[in-house]
Amino acid sequence: MHLFYELIKTSFHQQLTYRTANMAGLATNFFFGLLRAAILIALYGTAREVAGLSLRDAVTYTGLTQAVIAFLSFFGWWEVMRSVYSGDISSDLLKPMRYYTFWLAKDLGRALACFLVRGVTIMLAYALVFDITLPTSVWHWLAVGAALVLSTMISFSWRFLVNLSAFWTPDAMGVGRFAFILSWFLSGFLMPLRFFPDWFVRLCHLTPFPATVNTVVEVYLGVLTGPEMVQALGLQLLWFLILLAACQLTLRAGVRKLVIQGG
Amino acid sequence: MWHSLETYRRLIAVRVRSQIQYRVSTLLDIAGMAIVTGVEFGALAMVFQRFESIAGWTLGEVAFLYSLVTTAFGTMDLIFGGFDPDTFGPMVQRGTLDQLLLRPVNVTLQVFGSAFLLRRFAKIAQGVIIFCIALSMTSVHWTPAKVAYLPVVFVSQVAFFGGLFIIGATSTFWTVQRVEAINIFTYGGTELISYPMHIYAKWMRRFFTYVVPMILLNYYPALYFLDKPDPLGGPACAPFLAPIAGFGMLAAALGFWRFGLKHYASTGT
Repeated sequence: MHLFYELIKTSFHQQLTYRTANMAGLATNFFFGLLRAAILIALYGTAREVAGLSLRDAVTYTGLTQAVIAFLSFFGWWEVMRSVYSGDISSDLLKPMRYYTFWLAKDLGRALACFLVRGVTIMLAYALVFDITLPTSVWHWLAVGAALVLSTMISFSWRFLVNLSAFWTPDAMGVGRFAFILSWFLSGFLMPLRFFPDWFVRLCHLTPFPATVNTVVEVYLGVLTGPEMVQALGLQLLWFLILLAACQLTLRAGVRKLVIQGG
Repeated sequence: MWHSLETYRRLIAVRVRSQIQYRVSTLLDIAGMAIVTGVEFGALAMVFQRFESIAGWTLGEVAFLYSLVTTAFGTMDLIFGGFDPDTFGPMVQRGTLDQLLLRPVNVTLQVFGSAFLLRRFAKIAQGVIIFCIALSMTSVHWTPAKVAYLPVVFVSQVAFFGGLFIIGATSTFWTVQRVEAINIFTYGGTELISYPMHIYAKWMRRFFTYVVPMILLNYYPALYFLDKPDPLGGPACAPFLAPIAGFGMLAAALGFWRFGLKHYASTGT
């Protein structure tokens, strides 16, 4: 447990040292947020509410989705893949810690730093430029916190699983890119899931992706309340457990197959 | 000239051959990229049923804007890929650019030939498909002048974004780290001009008119092709300034590139 905590701390500080990269990423995410807000405002036109979202909710949605990009590593994450190809994995497997837990700790540290530097800041910038929706009570904020933590765990497990494909193919980048792109559409990152036709939403809910972005958005905006909200959080937990099991099984099969080149 | 073309052809042939080694991965890569350009537009198309229009523009008209710039950017990415700051930056960092400088072949030509990603074809294909959809959804009144001007606009966009890539690449001579701010203009720029410009705040529109004239590349030409009135009250010649913006940017970028090469001092690695 101590090791776990130390790993989180190290990777947190490591992420914070990339100052220029963090700033540039922040600027890019914010700029895209402005564009996406303009598009939704233009789409709304004179409409006040669409599919249960007010214009203010829709604008806030664009901020939230831009804010989660960094800490959910939404555009790609290749670290485990790289360590399989470089052979670093051989020493990592010898560490007195489960391989999954080792990377989870590292990713949580990174995610926490990104959450503060590129998540909270974007929402603050949004609050300055737009009139945004805010959670209304302490309980509401706690629910948002729970949804954020769970979405990070789901996202990590999914990324870890995708990276494990490196055990089976010498160039898993293609598989990875495909997997990440798929998650943009199905998670409600490109447009609020509520705006899509029902049949499509049902299709999305067969995958773990809505449990990442969409649940955070809907809990934050207060679209889901009471039992609906509890159900959404429970579903997040369920998806996390399923992905966790998938990761462990795949990892076991992969390690059995692993051949380290050279020494 | 002929010799240069032959060298370029050979460099590209090497790139292509190395990519088709991992056939499954390459195919999945192409399918993935085909989906990404597809999903961005697909998401808009699927939610459009809930809305009437986007500031007076129909889905087909937005598709026209979107597909034109998508195709152009994909083509640019294929040709100018070597200058992509994301791949060029590491070349400066690791000192591999020094190897190119030692070879008895023009260095610009070598950078052009250093990347040719087959998966860009997916984006180009998607752009073309959505362009066809856009044409079927709108009733463009084609005249010989319009037919002649369309490729000019396309090439101007390729030149403009190619220029941005070259500027981003050249900047790394001094910064060594890749300059991520350029992403706002390249990827952010394509997103920006994929939608009618009058939906943006005034300061943003001004910036992209007077400082970085992206408004001339796609929006104004589209007004001309689609016979739409100009709500911004620009001059009557505005739709025809795309080549000036595009090739002006490329010329300036190449000048900057030459200046950068002259002052390049390597990282010593």
